[in-house]
Amino acid sequence: MSEDEKTLPAYSLPFLPGAIRELNSCGPLSEITPDWAWGGSTGKGVRVAVVDTGIEHDHPAVAGQVRGGVVIEWDEKAEDNLRIETDDPPQDVAGHGTACAGIIHSLAPEAELYSVRVLGTNMSGRAYQFAAGVDWAVENGMDVVNLSLSTSKKDYFAMFHSLTDDAYFKNIMLVSAASNFDEPSMPSLYSSVFSVASHAGKDPFTYYYNPSPPVEFGAPGIDLRVAWKDHGYATSTGNSFAAPHIAGIITLIRAKHPELTPFQIKSVLWACAANVHRKIAS
Amino acid sequence: MNEPADPEETQLKHELGRLIQALETSGKATLPSSANELLSSIVEAAARIFGAAAASILLVNEPDGVLEFKVAYGEGSRDLVGVSIPLNQGIAGYVAMSGQPIAISDVDRDARFNRDFARSTGYVPRSILATPLMAGERVLGVMEILDKINAPAFGMQDMELLGIFARQAALAIDQAQRIEGLGVAMLTGLENLAGSVGVRLSDDMLAALRAKPEPGIQADLQKLVEVLHEFSRLGELERELALDVLSVFAGYGKRQRRLSTGSG
Repeated sequence: MSEDEKTLPAYSLPFLPGAIRELNSCGPLSEITPDWAWGGSTGKGVRVAVVDTGIEHDHPAVAGQVRGGVVIEWDEKAEDNLRIETDDPPQDVAGHGTACAGIIHSLAPEAELYSVRVLGTNMSGRAYQFAAGVDWAVENGMDVVNLSLSTSKKDYFAMFHSLTDDAYFKNIMLVSAASNFDEPSMPSLYSSVFSVASHAGKDPFTYYYNPSPPVEFGAPGIDLRVAWKDHGYATSTGNSFAAPHIAGIITLIRAKHPELTPFQIKSVLWACAANVHRKIAS
Repeated sequence: MNEPADPEETQLKHELGRLIQALETSGKATLPSSANELLSSIVEAAARIFGAAAASILLVNEPDGVLEFKVAYGEGSRDLVGVSIPLNQGIAGYVAMSGQPIAISDVDRDARFNRDFARSTGYVPRSILATPLMAGERVLGVMEILDKINAPAFGMQDMELLGIFARQAALAIDQAQRIEGLGVAMLTGLENLAGSVGVRLSDDMLAALRAKPEPGIQADLQKLVEVLHEFSRLGELERELALDVLSVFAGYGKRQRRLSTGSG
């Protein structure tokens, strides 16, 4: 393994400078350009949920675009063991969710952000809180959902599979970060989601497409200056920060082309990826 | 079986008590040393290898909703052991809640909002690398190293390497926690078994089983385990000699018991 290969988290190996595959688009697909896909879009009217540690509603990095929030907690006395409460105004307990929301806002400044806080003190119920967060987003009219978290326990395979399929058929884009460990990473492994790992670049609009599983998209995730708790900022690293870059671009495309379905948007992303070259028909 | 004075039951009670204690001690003996000592050496090694100013391990205490500092090494570590922080807050909290590692540096906060725990310890780190301690899907705690010397931040390579250290630490913690739970598991098993065949254990017997081993005895046994470890590190001749001495002593102990109880 070269020095380069050691500098990216697991699942990011296809996005090393030497490993990125050069691909070609052809026919009418070559006519899709970033300018057509998202040029002039601000994400206006698109609702984006960040399922995470919450969003700090008054952080300058989200500039007042947070429109609502919920907290989902494990409670054995509640129905289905889950308690869902409004988080008004939304708070972030750690900083991580605000970092993700800040990245989305930097790409899609007029998108409406929703804070879905699912990370809490209950360790055994956390996969269910996470699943309930995805479900909340699907049932509450969200268009794009950023999932910079994952679970590795195979017992939850079916539960997340049906949730992500449900979102797919309801035309909701789920953007899922791959785990930073080399382990099963749900829901990023499903084809119905946009799975994202990191590349070492910094340009927010430069992303790569990987045609081989398990991860389809590579976006910036290394040593990024991100928003953090208490109106602060920090430099951080992880696939968690790559996912919101793709979520931001999808938000722009969704705002400009609301009729597109998840697999059509995936095709648009593929056509505009930095490693996909257009062959213009003569 | 409810007769408290039954001599057979009294003997069984003693035997069970001894068995549980022996199991706990022998379990602890399978760890390279006491679990705490092992964790201390893991954090110290991690700090030195990564060139970090400090390192620590925090364990999840779910009922209280906190992370507790179990071992700490280096700058700012004085008086940190035993301190608790909320499980659902901050960087260590995020790692425990999400089961994902994080590398973070140059955290700069608006002074009006600064409520950082680190300030209360008198030590504010510049860079942090934190990774979860996992036993399967269960998060046992968090291992963190602070302030890379001669570098502004921890990189991805550090993240991967710390994962390896964390696996060792998690293994030791998991083993220690399982052993601690062994006595409880045995008692529950016994009670269930007794219940299923319609036999009720006497209160006297339950009390004897539930009683924690006396701290003095526990410490003595632990000391014995450590001495045995020392023996295992000696040369072959020394080991044989040590074994001979112990055998003679054990034989002497048996004879003394026979004399005092009048049996045999």
